[in-house]
Amino acid sequence: MNMVQQTIVDPSKKNKRRKSYLKSSEVGLFSRLFFGVVLTLFSVLSIMPLVWLALSSFKTTQEFQMNRLGLPVNWFFKNYVFAWEIGNMGTLVLNSVFYTTISTIAVVLFSMTAAFAFAKIKSKATPFLYGSFVIGILLTVQSIMVPLFLMANLVDLLDTRLGVLIPYIGLGLPIGVYLCTEYVKSIHDSIIESARIDGAGYFKIFGRIVFPMAKPVISTLSILNVLSVWNEFMLINIIVSRESLKSLPVGIMKFSSALTSDYGKQFAALVIGLLPLLLFYLAFRNKITEGVSAGAVKG
Amino acid sequence: MKMLRTRKEERRAYLLLVLPAVLLYFAVVAFPMVFSIWMSVSDYSGGQIFGGSTPVKLIGFSNYSRMWNDKYFWISLKNNVFIVLISVFGQIPLGFVLAYAINRGRVRAKGFFQTIIYLPCVISSVIVGILWQTIFSPYGPVTELMQRSIPGWENNLLSNPRTAIIPVLLVMLWMYTGTYFIIFLANLQKIDQQVLEAARIDGATEGQTLRYVILPALSGVIVTSAILAISGSLKSFDLIYAMTGGNPARRTSVLALYMYDTAFRGAPNYPLANAVSTFMMAFSFLLIIITKLVEKRFGGREE
Repeated sequence: MNMVQQTIVDPSKKNKRRKSYLKSSEVGLFSRLFFGVVLTLFSVLSIMPLVWLALSSFKTTQEFQMNRLGLPVNWFFKNYVFAWEIGNMGTLVLNSVFYTTISTIAVVLFSMTAAFAFAKIKSKATPFLYGSFVIGILLTVQSIMVPLFLMANLVDLLDTRLGVLIPYIGLGLPIGVYLCTEYVKSIHDSIIESARIDGAGYFKIFGRIVFPMAKPVISTLSILNVLSVWNEFMLINIIVSRESLKSLPVGIMKFSSALTSDYGKQFAALVIGLLPLLLFYLAFRNKITEGVSAGAVKG
Repeated sequence: MKMLRTRKEERRAYLLLVLPAVLLYFAVVAFPMVFSIWMSVSDYSGGQIFGGSTPVKLIGFSNYSRMWNDKYFWISLKNNVFIVLISVFGQIPLGFVLAYAINRGRVRAKGFFQTIIYLPCVISSVIVGILWQTIFSPYGPVTELMQRSIPGWENNLLSNPRTAIIPVLLVMLWMYTGTYFIIFLANLQKIDQQVLEAARIDGATEGQTLRYVILPALSGVIVTSAILAISGSLKSFDLIYAMTGGNPARRTSVLALYMYDTAFRGAPNYPLANAVSTFMMAFSFLLIIITKLVEKRFGGREE
């Protein structure tokens, strides 16, 4: 590829360090400037509200009312202590971690086993079953919310952890089964056949060969599921009303301006609320952006 | 004989492997879907379905006609259409411009810009909603900034029923543009550099390369983004719930919120709520089909 490029490119303009087809000198100064300004402007707009939030969270409510835009004059850290206590933040964070972890593990495991069967074991049931999962991708949680609420009520799962987890796992499966099946299909049949000839059972093949080989799709799926379950609000809001079972998005509604005018604590609560996912994002940002674009385009 | 045994083993393995996923999916997704459509044409009001004191009757489309005659349904639908428009004609083009700028402008600190621009998308929409509610409120920084330039400016951004949806749309632009930016950036990087090189050697200008090489190569991605934007816009709920609660006077309501209010606030009307959610599904499918047709009619080459 590199060789081909070098034969095509006019040698006088060749610059090995820049792999792109455009040398910096060829992008007009004007458009470079324009692109730079657009990017900088939008980045500033993206980050400003969050910077403002972080700064304001260190002001007392009185100071905020005098000084809405500037830096805090007296850095007031107690907002965080109060917000943590009033908001029950410890419980909320733990609950969110619990719902997210368990549902993600289950979605990955069940999607992978089903995907292995759909992709590698012949059956007449596959077109119907797989097809119903694929249709489910377009489904929205709203269209099944009332039935889910009534069903949960019927089997006494309202206000329980299981009542939250079961729908979360079910709703994660369509995209999970789809992504995994498409991936497992790409694993060569010959690998599985030779393992079969060596006498390995299907579960051994799954555990030793297919699952380890599917690491890329498993990480994509995990990321998509973590993001959607962590941020899910509508369903858990109707299933759960007990304080001790609420997740972060539900619990943090307590700090809505409609209910409080104590801005210092509100800002601190919002910062606490967005920190876990922000750290997750900063730690895995490349994986996350990859996963989101892969999941979106395939979905 | 051996053949027969392997067939049997194959069947058993298949069954065990698909069972958990199929069971869960049919119980909590597929069945409720059918249940919901059924409820929308019945007069079911909770309680026992069979053998209750008053048996459930199928009453045809009267729930739908009730919905059709409710002015709040139309307000919600109108707002949903605004959200679809701001996604398709706001977020997607802006996301493309940003991705193009980063890809073409040979910007340094690419990763930095990428991290910042996608950042709002990973925050819970409830938190985003509460934050912006305060930012736009009369006690917030927007008021302060406006009053510095126009003394005596009165902030009725979120309290004027006719215009309250505009701040909400701006927040959506702020929040979700990053998603399309990420999608376009990933796909711009996939375009074959040699094709672009060839276009440049043939003397194509920036605009011509964009029009005849880059956009056609991205046509599939644009359609996928549009479908994503449409289905995403129709489900929007959390952000509005947290930011305005659908108020003032339910003027910023959307279909999902209208459905939620019908089912879970005040006296529940489950059949009506299910008529709304069934309508939402149908409407979403209709828009997606139209998008596909538009692509077929005017679209560039498929990849």
